[in-house]
Amino acid sequence: MRAFFLWLLYGVLMRFFLRVIVGVKYAHKSVLKEQKQFILVANHNSHLDTMAMMTALPFRQRAKTHPVAAGDYFGGTRLKAYISYLLINAILIRRKKDQAEADPIELMSEALRKGDSLILFPEGSRGEPEKMQEFKKGIGILLQRFPHIPYIPVYMKGMGKTLPKGETLLVPFDCYVLFGNPHMPKSPDIEGIVKEVAEEVHLLKQLFERETREQRN
Amino acid sequence: MKLDFQFLQSDKFEQNKEVMILIGIILGVLVFATILFYVLGRVKPGAQMKELKMRTNSWWVMASIFVLATLLHPIVSYLAFALLSYMALRELTSISKNIREEDRKVIIWCYLAIPLQYYFAYNGWFNIFIIFIPIIMHVWIPFLLVIRGFTTEIGRAMSVLPMQLMLTVFSLSHLAFLLSLPELEGFNAGGRGLLLYVVFLTEMNDVFQFTWGKLLGRTKIIEKISPNKTWEGFVGGVLTTTVVGYFLRFLTPLTGFEALVVAFSVACSGFIGDIIVSAVKRDIGLKDTGTLIPGHGGILDRIDSLAISAPIFFYLIYNLYYA
Repeated sequence: MRAFFLWLLYGVLMRFFLRVIVGVKYAHKSVLKEQKQFILVANHNSHLDTMAMMTALPFRQRAKTHPVAAGDYFGGTRLKAYISYLLINAILIRRKKDQAEADPIELMSEALRKGDSLILFPEGSRGEPEKMQEFKKGIGILLQRFPHIPYIPVYMKGMGKTLPKGETLLVPFDCYVLFGNPHMPKSPDIEGIVKEVAEEVHLLKQLFERETREQRN
Repeated sequence: MKLDFQFLQSDKFEQNKEVMILIGIILGVLVFATILFYVLGRVKPGAQMKELKMRTNSWWVMASIFVLATLLHPIVSYLAFALLSYMALRELTSISKNIREEDRKVIIWCYLAIPLQYYFAYNGWFNIFIIFIPIIMHVWIPFLLVIRGFTTEIGRAMSVLPMQLMLTVFSLSHLAFLLSLPELEGFNAGGRGLLLYVVFLTEMNDVFQFTWGKLLGRTKIIEKISPNKTWEGFVGGVLTTTVVGYFLRFLTPLTGFEALVVAFSVACSGFIGDIIVSAVKRDIGLKDTGTLIPGHGGILDRIDSLAISAPIFFYLIYNLYYA
């Protein structure tokens, strides 16, 4: 039932909106079909990022995949938190250290233990349009704890121009979502894993730029 | 505005023999190309047929969409051209480096011009149709930019945004306006015939220039902009298109001599449109086609020739027969 609802929301409505109105183009989307469980790791510039990835997911994966979102932003009130779950299937975590709420790593681990997948934005916030920030540690801790789950790097471009942070008006620009191959982290320590993951997303960015721009002489 | 939902007006089509003949020709060309490249690929396995085959496949898709959009109820054609304008404008604003971050709200106004322009075309309001973008939007967009108050490099945005509207919305809407032209006595093919004529000629002109260039091409015509274009391809393409245009004149009210002149103009203007868009892309450093991302830069590549040839064709026809 829930899978069907999310399919209608993303597979049909959001897909039409993103493809025709916004102009989102996907590359190498098929990797998602070949994996049972994964952590999608992407750069973050816009609310559209989550929408684009939920849309790209295959039918069976969609209800089992949770974007990890900031509790202070998307869960400010109980109603907001419920809507975040209902429409985005999100796991809400706190961004600042606060004893009253559950540990973010625990919340994410729980989902992974159930066999679910995650969508992570290790930059933590959307930041300035079309600029990448440093990755936070959480992704490293998770990948170290669950060494059998691969991560899939994702590079997105254009969303930060279409709907940047702090803007309410959506102005369509062509957007690109580029999926990388699934990887298992090689490094034994957390910092090493975070570096590896960030490297993979940056490699995708370079690949994208090489493919679309020619060398200027 | 009266809408009837009888989407396929079959009785009208049985009368429109000319349009059916051209659709038959399009089908024939595509079948011929598909078989030719398949056979060539079999005979000479070394030959690089993959790109040609891919091109033919995408031509199948585009031709089907185009033919369907023209065959169904006229309102579908207007909507299809409006959508094409929209996607082309989006592609152009996305790659343009002369649009500043502060201009995003003004771009929305450019998009809003699309439904209006096509509404004028749908109703056949010629006077407002021809001044809306070249005059009204050319004042309105700079005015909006000025009252927003960011003056750094404002001149670029002022000239680039209306220019992009001209290239993607104003020019393509002439294709839609062809469908709104009044009926002429003794001319059966009507707006659909004219529409198919100009689109078919322009696209075939691209193909002819490409083919002649591959077969005979030696002397570069404009190397800095488009390294694959040659004088041989250009001349061969223009001559072939002119001859084809002469024989297809049953789709238009033109006489033989007029058809030669019109087809020649369409061929030359198609070439001009092609190199204008190539130059814009050169400036940005954008590749023609990406293999990684399907559809990258795709729409502009397809409409570049049409963007110039459509208005030229329209005004030639309009002033000869409808003014």
